[in-house]
Amino acid sequence: MNAIKNLFKSLFLLELIKGLRVTGRYLFDRKITVQYPDEKTPQSFRFRGRHAQRRYPNGEERCIACKLCEATCPAAAITIEVEQRDDGSRQTSRYEIDLTKCIFCGYCEESCPVDAIVETRVFEYCGENSNDLLMTKSDLLAFGDELEQQLNVDKLLDSPYR
Amino acid sequence: MVTIEIDGKSYQAQAGQKLIEVTEANGIDVPRFCYHKKLSIAASCRMCLVEVERAPKPMPACATPIMDGMKVFTRSTKALAAQKAVMEFLLINHPLDCPICDQGGECELQDIAVGYGNDTSNYQEAKRVVISKNLGPLIATEMTRCIHCTRCVRFSKEITGVPEMGDPGRGEHMKIGTYVEKNITSELSGNMIDICPVGALTSKPFRFSARAWEMQQHNTIAPHDSVGSNIAVHTRRNKVLRVVPRENEAINEVWISDRDRFSYEGLTANDRITSPMIKKDGTWKKVHWDTALAYAVDNLKQIDSKSVGALASPTATVEELFLLQKLMRGIGSNNIDHRLRQVDFSDQDQAPLFPYLGQAITDLENCEAALLIGSHLRKEQPILNHRLRKAGAKVAVFNPIDYEFNFPVAAKMVVAPNNWVSNLTGIAKALLGNGLIPTGMQKLLADSEVTEEQQAIAEALQTGEKRTVLLGNLATSHPQFATVRALAATIAKLSGARLGYLPEANNTTGAWLAGAVPHRKAGGEAVVEAGLDAYAMLSQNLKAYVLLGLEPELDSCTGSASCLEAADFVVSLTAYKTEAIENYADVILPISLFTETSGTYVNAEGLWQSFGGVVNPTGSTRPAWKVLRVLGNLFDIAEFDYVSSEQVRDEVQALVGDKKPSNTAGWQVPTCLENMASDGLQRITEMPIYSGDALVRRAEALQDTLDADVAGIHVNPTVAKQFNGSEQVQVNGASLPLVLDERVPDGCALIYAGQIAGTWHGNVEVS
Ligand code: SF4
Ligand code: SF4
Ligand code: SF4
Ligand code: FES
Repeated sequence: MNAIKNLFKSLFLLELIKGLRVTGRYLFDRKITVQYPDEKTPQSFRFRGRHAQRRYPNGEERCIACKLCEATCPAAAITIEVEQRDDGSRQTSRYEIDLTKCIFCGYCEESCPVDAIVETRVFEYCGENSNDLLMTKSDLLAFGDELEQQLNVDKLLDSPYR
Repeated sequence: MVTIEIDGKSYQAQAGQKLIEVTEANGIDVPRFCYHKKLSIAASCRMCLVEVERAPKPMPACATPIMDGMKVFTRSTKALAAQKAVMEFLLINHPLDCPICDQGGECELQDIAVGYGNDTSNYQEAKRVVISKNLGPLIATEMTRCIHCTRCVRFSKEITGVPEMGDPGRGEHMKIGTYVEKNITSELSGNMIDICPVGALTSKPFRFSARAWEMQQHNTIAPHDSVGSNIAVHTRRNKVLRVVPRENEAINEVWISDRDRFSYEGLTANDRITSPMIKKDGTWKKVHWDTALAYAVDNLKQIDSKSVGALASPTATVEELFLLQKLMRGIGSNNIDHRLRQVDFSDQDQAPLFPYLGQAITDLENCEAALLIGSHLRKEQPILNHRLRKAGAKVAVFNPIDYEFNFPVAAKMVVAPNNWVSNLTGIAKALLGNGLIPTGMQKLLADSEVTEEQQAIAEALQTGEKRTVLLGNLATSHPQFATVRALAATIAKLSGARLGYLPEANNTTGAWLAGAVPHRKAGGEAVVEAGLDAYAMLSQNLKAYVLLGLEPELDSCTGSASCLEAADFVVSLTAYKTEAIENYADVILPISLFTETSGTYVNAEGLWQSFGGVVNPTGSTRPAWKVLRVLGNLFDIAEFDYVSSEQVRDEVQALVGDKKPSNTAGWQVPTCLENMASDGLQRITEMPIYSGDALVRRAEALQDTLDADVAGIHVNPTVAKQFNGSEQVQVNGASLPLVLDERVPDGCALIYAGQIAGTWHGNVEVS
């Protein structure tokens, strides 16, 4: 009985028609393809792109070298060295994120007690060799300065959920 | 024994124990801050509140003695509510500092707050802020974080014996700190860092260098005093970042001295040398190991082996010392020694197998009377001093300087070195008749006089049953050491006390056992013809020297390296390159320091403690035992094919077998008991606590402490008068500041080692 049923099915290409029905439906549906890079998809304020280090409005770096982000990073992409600055405060003497290791989980941002390290909306970056993707402290701070306005807005949008 | 019930289970415990001791012994967790098993009970933090049946209120477990049939609930609703309430109060004034706090990750408050704290606080008012204190170069403070557990206050009163920390003020106004702003002077002060449950007291040299979770812990043995404290070294990325104690009740309990804790800074000193070097025509150049070793061996081979001398630092490991002596004896020379600060070697053949403490370290704690001869025990061996202090014994001291002790001194004599013999004779005479001593000695003692002071010391020593006589560094370096030793043995014999030595370095004992002495092979077997001792080697010009881990100009009591400069060839196995070494050495073989090598130290009670390396050797340095092993091979010495340090250790251990030292047998009756003649100003030399070996000399933070501030020539005001108020005087050609020091006896000048060239004793020319 089953064998006859299968023979019937394959003889009339029923499965094929079933599949083509889906194709057909999408053929006439509203299109969702985005013409990147001319068009872009909307981003959440929690988008997790390339990292930046932020400063306080007075220009002081936020990061206090607590090393929580380093400890929490599952890819061990962050390397921090600490030093005592002349005014006695605790600061990083080295803060590096290796973007070739980073998996963009956002744990560093999550763990940071002072909102210093953030993952920005920027995901378009490249490097010609892997060293270009090793973000040093000055890279990160400069990037933060560039995007500070946006970052501020994003943090504000996120704050009701914290 | 009583039976109590905790959380529904029955436990047996000793009557009189505190509740918290029982829970601790049985692995039941009770949160606490102020309780510490080595300190008295303050019951001030109230974190340990537990519910006790029939008690109207929760009781502090640390202060509640147990009673038979007591029923305790540590996690009942009532107990938990009490603990949570206490936690909330504690956090009222505590800052949200964890991210910048060095204690973060190993903080008792953090841990307990996770278990008992709330997410939010009801407290909205302003928090208390306390200005931090400056406690000196070792301890960093952040007093806002203090939770007033008073552990540090009790520690300084009960353990260091110098009540430097206090808690003036009450309630919100209570402020922990030194009463007046000053540096902490205790040599055990670093332990405050460990006992402070929060980040109020942290280590200054370590400040901000790493987080607890990033470091690896490696167990090893401290390389300074003869206690052999058990330590753990914390490393990150192959770098030693700090040293903390490991608990060992039989040795260091839970404490270590500041010297053991902070000397690690010397591991990365600027003058650390990392590749072999040879000097050709007056210029130094870096070479390969092969070249350096071949150069050393070729040149040594050309020199008659009897004019080669080897000097080793007693901080080297047993393995290194054994291989060095095997090398020397292999090339046919017995000139090997580690006793750099000894002058009188006349009775070395009678010396015990090794300078033995005469008892276990724990026995010091039980002794009832003690006589210290020539020892600044507090600074020489801080942990032994602590044991003796704990004993509460009647301690008599016989010293060239009026040292301050942190326990009551029952009788005291401050005697210029030249008068030691007659005064010790007096003490022995006062005890005469108490026991049997050789007739020769009896005759010698018979015609001496006994002064009141000597009588007082003799009386103090006759307290209780357990008595001990201890010989310290200043006795060992005394020019009449043999006589002093004989008299000390006589005093010990007559008073029924145990005679003990306080060996100077961490492995002095091991050096004797490994045969790093001119008159005995490894295991203590006498050699046919003894070689030269350290003092002789450094005062008669030999043709060649091999140095292991030392800087003779600073380490030896000849106080100079002139013999080395005059020698044809000097090989220095050293971790550091100084100007002096560059001057006299011809080959520098860079060796690894204690964290970079495996080895064994033997402590004062004869306990062998082996350890492994914790980090890789710096640069191309090599563990000294490997270097010596290759040197041995290049000399074609038989049976020199060791592949591990354990193999070397086992060989030494087999040679020692079960031989035990006997301190009382090891002395001979002196021919006469005469004082040294002295006319001018006598020099007394003490090795400052933080200068004893190459490593600690380079520990920066320790060098900033008050104990390291030793510059100058110390004389008492009467003696100072002869200099007509001048502030700077010329001593043996060097200019030193004149320091008025009441502790120095008449006719003497105290000059700490390492300041001027010249021997440590005898007269000094001052102008
Ligand atoms: S970025 Fe934030 S989490 Fe990372 S070390 Fe700095 S303060 Fe700490
Ligand atoms: S003492 Fe402990 S709880 Fe307080 S700030 Fe430091 S780590 Fe945090
Ligand atoms: S400084 Fe530390 S040990 Fe001292 S009272 Fe405060 S919390 Fe306790
Ligand atoms: S530990 Fe019991 S009151 Fe502090």
